[in-house]
Amino acid sequence: MTVVRRDPASAAFYDAAAQHQLLMRRGPSGTVLPPEARTDPINGSPDLEPFIVSGTGTLISWAIVPGQATTALVELTEGPWLFVRLQADPAVLKAGLTVEVCFEDAGESVPVFRLS
Amino acid sequence: MGRPLSTAIVGLGLTEMGKVYGRSASSLAAEAVRKATDDAGLRLSDLDGLLVSSGVTQSLNVGLAQTLALPDLNVLSQVSAFGATAGVMVAQAVQMIEAGAATTIACVFADTPLKPARKAGEAWAGRPRELKGMAGWSAFSGAVNPTVLYAVCARRHMERYGTTSAQLAEIAVAQRAWAALNPLAQMRDPITVDDHQASRWIADPLHLLDCCLVSNGAVAVIVSSAEKSERPVHVWGYGQAHQPRRMHAGSDWGLLTPAGRSGAQAMSMAGISVDDVDVAELYDCYTYTVLVSLEDYGFCAKGEGGPFVADGRLGPGGKLAVNTGGGQLSGYYMWGFTPLSEAVIQARGEGGERQAPSNDVILVSGNGGILEHHSTLVLSPHPGALR
Repeated sequence: MTVVRRDPASAAFYDAAAQHQLLMRRGPSGTVLPPEARTDPINGSPDLEPFIVSGTGTLISWAIVPGQATTALVELTEGPWLFVRLQADPAVLKAGLTVEVCFEDAGESVPVFRLS
Repeated sequence: MGRPLSTAIVGLGLTEMGKVYGRSASSLAAEAVRKATDDAGLRLSDLDGLLVSSGVTQSLNVGLAQTLALPDLNVLSQVSAFGATAGVMVAQAVQMIEAGAATTIACVFADTPLKPARKAGEAWAGRPRELKGMAGWSAFSGAVNPTVLYAVCARRHMERYGTTSAQLAEIAVAQRAWAALNPLAQMRDPITVDDHQASRWIADPLHLLDCCLVSNGAVAVIVSSAEKSERPVHVWGYGQAHQPRRMHAGSDWGLLTPAGRSGAQAMSMAGISVDDVDVAELYDCYTYTVLVSLEDYGFCAKGEGGPFVADGRLGPGGKLAVNTGGGQLSGYYMWGFTPLSEAVIQARGEGGERQAPSNDVILVSGNGGILEHHSTLVLSPHPGALR
């Protein structure tokens, strides 16, 4: 069983996940960015603020390592791309399917995705 | 010091490669530099420049100058642009020589990722999972090693353009057929498309036979004035382009690589077009890297790489000689020094049974990161018309 533990830098992300919210960042240009982003790509600003997204998106691509959960690349409705664990039957997957966030308890509450 | 008429690769040195145990990267690198210097008809003391590149183990550095007791260098650096490094190093060496900073520069790569009783994949597998912080969420996704990320890219191409695993197999089969003719290659038994399809999944849609080898060893080249050599491999052009992946709507990551820009620079400098290329030595960490590189260099249109590689086009006797030594899939895994070393061999006409039918223009491609960093060289046995 995989266990995820917070550190000080990720506390806000996992606090949000515990409330079943997906916390991203947003730059001064309005661009919504993945949590690891450090720079607004439109204007180069480092001033990113926390931003809760809707948790909906579409499937861009995926890979399956035998014996492991599906790894998916999803595009959130607000724009950012994320690598996530996808709970879905691999046989039905195709690019463009709509997905939504859900949460697994793995020590911390951890955002994963499923087909919507 | 006078400006040389033409700068060229004048020496090549390769160590034993593969399951070579008990030797350090620095010892292997020193051997490769000695062999390349001998091959060039030079002495170690003729070197006034040294550029070093380490691989996944990061165990080679500028201390190699001490190991080789090089007394008087004008140029000494470690170069790192991931899988694009080899082409970047040669370009830097050419630029420094033409700027008068040095006259004779050795470029060397060495790595020792394989350990006894350790599976090859473990050398590149994610480190023991430190599931802490944001990295914990990332690890939970499974996007933890290059194979998974390249698999995501290959799948994206399949979904967009209808590319199939059987088409990727054509690349693996063609390169193994070349490797069967290459005494330096590690994997020489011929394979079929069915063998590829039956090989186990590493990360679906990538089978085992879509993935490169992992090798210990070292390769060095000597860059200097062409006049110093009886069989120079002229550097007609070089380019590099980098595009760290954009993780946002509209990104073309995985489908389109900076090989296009890098190739355009190198081919423009060389005064050639892609139609002039006789031999293409393309970085092939995975079969898909070859396919997408062929598209981005313009050998075929975007999205048509799958049909393009069918029917043995890339193999011995095919219409386009690609990865004539077997590449990193079947030959040996020395990062960008795999395509570079085979290009030098082909340019000299020393390919033996695997010598391509013509070798006037040879394109060498480096790829690093996850399809994010590219370098290109255009090499030829002939002095460049434009340079």
